[in-house]
This record gives sequence, C-alpha cells and structure tokens, in this order.
Amino acid sequence: MADTVWSTDTGEAVYRSRDPVRNLRLRVHLQRITSSNYLRYQPAAQPGKDLIDLATFRPQPTASGHRPDEDEEEEVVIGWQEKLFSQFEVDLYQEAACQSPLDHQYRQEILKLEGSDGRKNRRIFTYTDSDRYTNLEEHCQKMTTAASEVPSFLVERMANVRRRRQDRRGMEGGILKSRIVTWEPSEEFVRNSHVINTPLQTMYIMADLGPYGKLGYKKHEHVLCTLKVDSNGVITVKPDFTGLKGPYRIETEGDKQELWTYTLDNVSSLAQPEEEEREQRVFKDLYGRHKEYLSSLVGTDFEMTVPGALRLFVNGEVVSAQGYESDNLYVHFFLELPTTNWSSPAFQQLSGVTQTCATKSLGMDQVAHFSYPFTFEASFLHEDESAEALPAWPVLYCEVLSLDFWQRYRVEGYGAVVLPATPGSHTLTLSTWRPLELGTAELRRFFIGGSLELEDLSYVRIPGTFKGERLSRFGLRTETTGSVTFRLHCLHQSRAFMESSSLRKRMRSVLDRLEGFSQQSSIHNVLEAFRRARRRMREARESLPHDLVSPSGTTVS
Amino acid sequence: MAEVHVIGQIMGATGFSESSLFCKWGVHTGAAWKLLSGVREGQTQVDTPQIGDMAYWSHPIDLHFATKGLQGWPRLHLQVWSQDSFGRCQLAGYGFCHVPSSPGTHQLDCPTWRPLGSWREQLARAFVGGGPQLLHGDAIYSGADRYRLHTAAGGTVHLELGLLLRHFDRYGVEC
Repeated sequence: MADTVWSTDTGEAVYRSRDPVRNLRLRVHLQRITSSNYLRYQPAAQPGKDLIDLATFRPQPTASGHRPDEDEEEEVVIGWQEKLFSQFEVDLYQEAACQSPLDHQYRQEILKLEGSDGRKNRRIFTYTDSDRYTNLEEHCQKMTTAASEVPSFLVERMANVRRRRQDRRGMEGGILKSRIVTWEPSEEFVRNSHVINTPLQTMYIMADLGPYGKLGYKKHEHVLCTLKVDSNGVITVKPDFTGLKGPYRIETEGDKQELWTYTLDNVSSLAQPEEEEREQRVFKDLYGRHKEYLSSLVGTDFEMTVPGALRLFVNGEVVSAQGYESDNLYVHFFLELPTTNWSSPAFQQLSGVTQTCATKSLGMDQVAHFSYPFTFEASFLHEDESAEALPAWPVLYCEVLSLDFWQRYRVEGYGAVVLPATPGSHTLTLSTWRPLELGTAELRRFFIGGSLELEDLSYVRIPGTFKGERLSRFGLRTETTGSVTFRLHCLHQSRAFMESSSLRKRMRSVLDRLEGFSQQSSIHNVLEAFRRARRRMREARESLPHDLVSPSGTTVS
Repeated sequence: MAEVHVIGQIMGATGFSESSLFCKWGVHTGAAWKLLSGVREGQTQVDTPQIGDMAYWSHPIDLHFATKGLQGWPRLHLQVWSQDSFGRCQLAGYGFCHVPSSPGTHQLDCPTWRPLGSWREQLARAFVGGGPQLLHGDAIYSGADRYRLHTAAGGTVHLELGLLLRHFDRYGVEC
C-alpha cells in the first residue's frame, strides 16, 4: 500500500512543445507530515479509503504547539524563469551585499516587495538560469560515491554550453560560408564545437525545509524539481509531474528527521479552441498556397494512357559483360515486341550498340564496363479477349562481339531474356553461348577472326519463322561463354490500376488485372460512338433553314 | 502532377588504380520534369584512402522533383577524377545510372569507363598522366553515339539512394 501513497520514481520526463516556453506554469504543493500526523496517516491508508477527505488529516496543533497552520502547507504557481526569493536571499540582499548588476536588480525587487508586503512564497523558491546556484550546481554535481570527484575535461567544456548562449548569436552563419576547413581553430572555436551545442535553460524549484522560524539557512535548502528547456522546445522535468502518481517525499536529515511531501502539476493554460482552430486554418491556408504554387510551376495534369491499355516503361542500363576470353567487347542488343497486342511509339528506338570497352580483371573474371543507358516505352492493348493464346511479354536479345587491334571481330555470345513482368528494379544476368564447329573453324577464328554466326538472332529463343509443334536444335553445337549484366527499372501505367488501387492485390499478375477492362473499353467505345452521332445530328439540325426547324422543334418538344 | 524525392549519398569508389579521387556528379531529366528544390550537380572532396582500396566521399544528394509524365526519369551521371601530388587532375572514369523507380532504399554499384585513345596517348598517360576526355558530357547519359568510342573499364562508384514517390498511384502508375 505504501508505494501508492509515495511515489519513489524520481526519474526525469521529457516533453515537447511548440508553444513558447514562457507559457509554462507549474503548481507546486508542499506539505509537512509531522511525526504525529504521519503516524495517524498510516492506518488510514487502507485499500479503498484513499479518498478520505484531507481535512481528516489536518495537522492539529501538536504538543510542541508552536506551528501555525499555514506553515505546514504551501502552494505556489510558478512560471518559467520566475524568480521567487528565498528567506536567505531576502536577508542577503537587504544588507546590500551586491556585486553584479543582477544582485542590484534583485535588491531593488526585494525592497519593492518589502514595501508592498507581498511575498507570495514562504518555503518554496526558485533559482533561475542566471543565478549563481545554477552554474555551481552543474559544475559540482556528483555522479558517484567517490569521496572526491574531480570534474573531467568534458564536464568543464559542457559547463560552458549554457553561458555560451549569449555570445553565439550572430556569428553562426559567417564562419560556415567563408571556408569549409579551419586550419587554425581558435580557442573559442574549439570550445564551441567540440561538445554538444544546444543551449539549455535551467530552472530549479527549491524548498527551504528548515524548522519553523529558522528559515534562511543554506543547509536546509532542497531541490524539489529541475526544469530544463532547450531552444527546440524540448522540456525536461525531473522528477516528472505528479499527475495520478502519489506525491514525492523528502526526509530531512539532522537530529529532527522530518518528512515532507510535495506534488508538481502542470497548470499551463491551454490554448482556446478558437485559437487552435485559427492556427489550423492558417496552416491549411499555407499548405494550400504552397500546393498552388507547385502546381503553377508544373501543372496539375499527368500524361495518361488510353483506356484499357497498359504502358510499360523500362529505364535500363547495360552494366557490364564478364567472363569472355577476348578483350575489347561491345554489346548489340534489341527489344522484340510480341506481334500481337503490343505497340510502341514511332520515335522509339528499340535497339542499341554500346561502345567498345577494354576489359580489366576483377577477381577471376575479365570485366568490361559499359554503363550504357537505354529507355523503352511500349503499350499493351488487349483488344481481342477471345484469343486463347497467353499474352506474350517483350523479349530482350543481346549479342556480344569483340573487336581487336587488327579490326578482326568475333562473335562472343548470344543471349535473350524475357523482360520482368513485375514493376520495380531488376538486375538480370544473361548467360550467353556461341555456336561451335569442330575442325579448323576454331583455328580460323583464333588467327584471322570471323566465326560462325546466327543468321537470325531470334534463333536464340524461338525463331520468327518457326511453325510446328516441337522446336529442335539438335545438331547445333555451342560453347558457354561469359555473361552480360543488365539493370532494369520497370514502370507500369494503366487506368485499371487507378480503380483497383484501393483493393490492390500484389500477387495477381498484371494481365489478370487488365482483364475485364477491355469490356469497359468497349462500353467506352459505344458511348463515344453515341456521342459522335448526337453531335452530328445537332450539326445537321443547325444547318437546316430556321423556319423549317422551329415548327418541328415545337412539335417535338 | 506527381512528385519524387531522391535522398541519398555517393558513398565512395573502389577498383580505381589511381588514389586521391574525387567525383563530379549531375542529374539529367526529361522535359516533363522540374526540380523543385535541391541542387542537381555537385562535386565531392578529394579523398585519399589510407587503408584499403575504397575512397569514401559520403557526398549528400537531396533532390525534389515534380513531373507531368514518366518520360525522362532522372538519370545520374558521374565523372571520377584523380588528383596527383602536383595538383594535376586526370580523368579516371565516367559512370551512369538511372535513378531507381521503386520507392525504398537502393544500393547501386555504378561501373565506370574512360576513353582509351591511341597507343601513343596510352603510353603518355602511363608516364605523365592526362589522356583523352569526352568532348561533350552528354555522351555519359545518352547512348546515341557511344559506338564511336573505344574505352577501358575503370573502377566502380557506390551509391545509396532512397526514393520517395507521391501521387503516382493516383495516375495508375505502379513502380
């Protein structure tokens, strides 16, 4: 039960906010549990009885009898970097022990407060970012139980991060632009750039837990809460706001151990709904304008396909050829579109020849680099749905040749591959072969070049002239040669994908998804024909003499 | 209008016989494309590998395109140069790769080549450096006149490109 009453988790919590940090408000509630009170409190903390009215536990004037009520409990609302003076500071500055301008300012403020008789705090007070305490605390913070902990080099460097904030302004842009490398980094430069450089603002909420009437001693000061805010709107609170957790507690040391509890609450005023709405409207407006600006630059339209068609874009490269016995290779390649259903724009170049490239050895292989770009565009229109045949896909053929110093050329290999039917990036390695003849032909090839060649390159797959049921290549001798690497980036575009994008099914093949769209396209054709007929009728009507039209018009309508 | 973000870096290069390499790069697009933000060309620093073969540049690429059509998808062309101890620069290789069309991260290896020249030029290059270069840079990213060239294979440039696409599905494009 005890752990629901006390919150022992004093770890820090991190919040982010886009609002200016000056809107941060914190309510701190501090209460002493006197020993007698504490004893009485314990049995009451039964399950289900947590909500007993606090008035039950109102501290009674105890035997010692010298504690007035208000001293036992204190609640203050504190804003960001709001200075609340402690008794110690009030005493100090009233005696005019001022050194810095800040001290003088504090003195003025304290004198004014004394005059108007209104310190709103008694025990709870704050140390702001500019106070001496904040710097000291950062520097002397201990991390281990070692008797004497020497601050490391990094600690010294980090300690300056906060102080640096003022002098850094205005010099950030200048240095970067003039030169990239600083050959003689100055002391200042090193200090600025060797450690993290997000300036933090710190604030401590403290409490003076001295016995009644003996406030204003340094040794009774305790940290209730540490707040850190950086310029990106990250707020670190240690410990976290109390919220639904139980209050935190502090046990004072010394001969008279006393128990204090405190809660922290975030009471920053929320933005009004209408303000929020206005902000959203502004953002919406901004994005809308940006969008308009973009579309004014580029235009809103996009090149579309005709209904029912699939457009295939291939951005490809001939990357390399490897494993051939000759040097100085070049690749001749072309794309074959299937005879039915496929078409490509007239300007389209469907073949290419790379440069001649001398090889270099890479591992075991001799590699020629081409980096040869090509682009194909073709469209597929499935007009005849009744056709039984499986729709074919374009095929890429390639032929590797070598050309040597004496202008002798040799065929090094033939290969073919069907283009990938799925969109995306594909790396294809085509293994190639070349025809071989026993006898003197190989000798002739070696010494004077020239060799057996295929008469028709389509023989690599199914010859164009082929008719029949079985394809036999019996009698053709070949030799395995190297391989050619292609890299293809495929894009598919179709109106059918626009409709089906909501119920997208990746596994289905493209052709399945195109199916049924040809019916739609036939409907489209009928509608188009109807529209044309109507237009023609209207034109005919308008061309008729006027007196003829009007009586017939009245009778019709 | 559809949009493409290309975010990535030129990691470095391996397989070049020269040390102290740097790389000039550029992006070429078709007429339907417009660069909304980012720079379309740049040059890396000179990197001299101490251990191993790979020169690391880690040069950032960050481009934002808008397009009206699929034709002229962005293509990246590279020139790798080496700088010797006298400050002379000589060409080490030309490379090319298409910017991938599918969203996601892509590791690309881009092989390079350089014009070979006559045997006299080759000999001169071996001793005093230099060597022929392309007269027009567009031969790197177009294939039209490539057959005129006689080249030698160079090293490989390694790239890492991340692609973000927007509104392509609205126009029925699968990529």
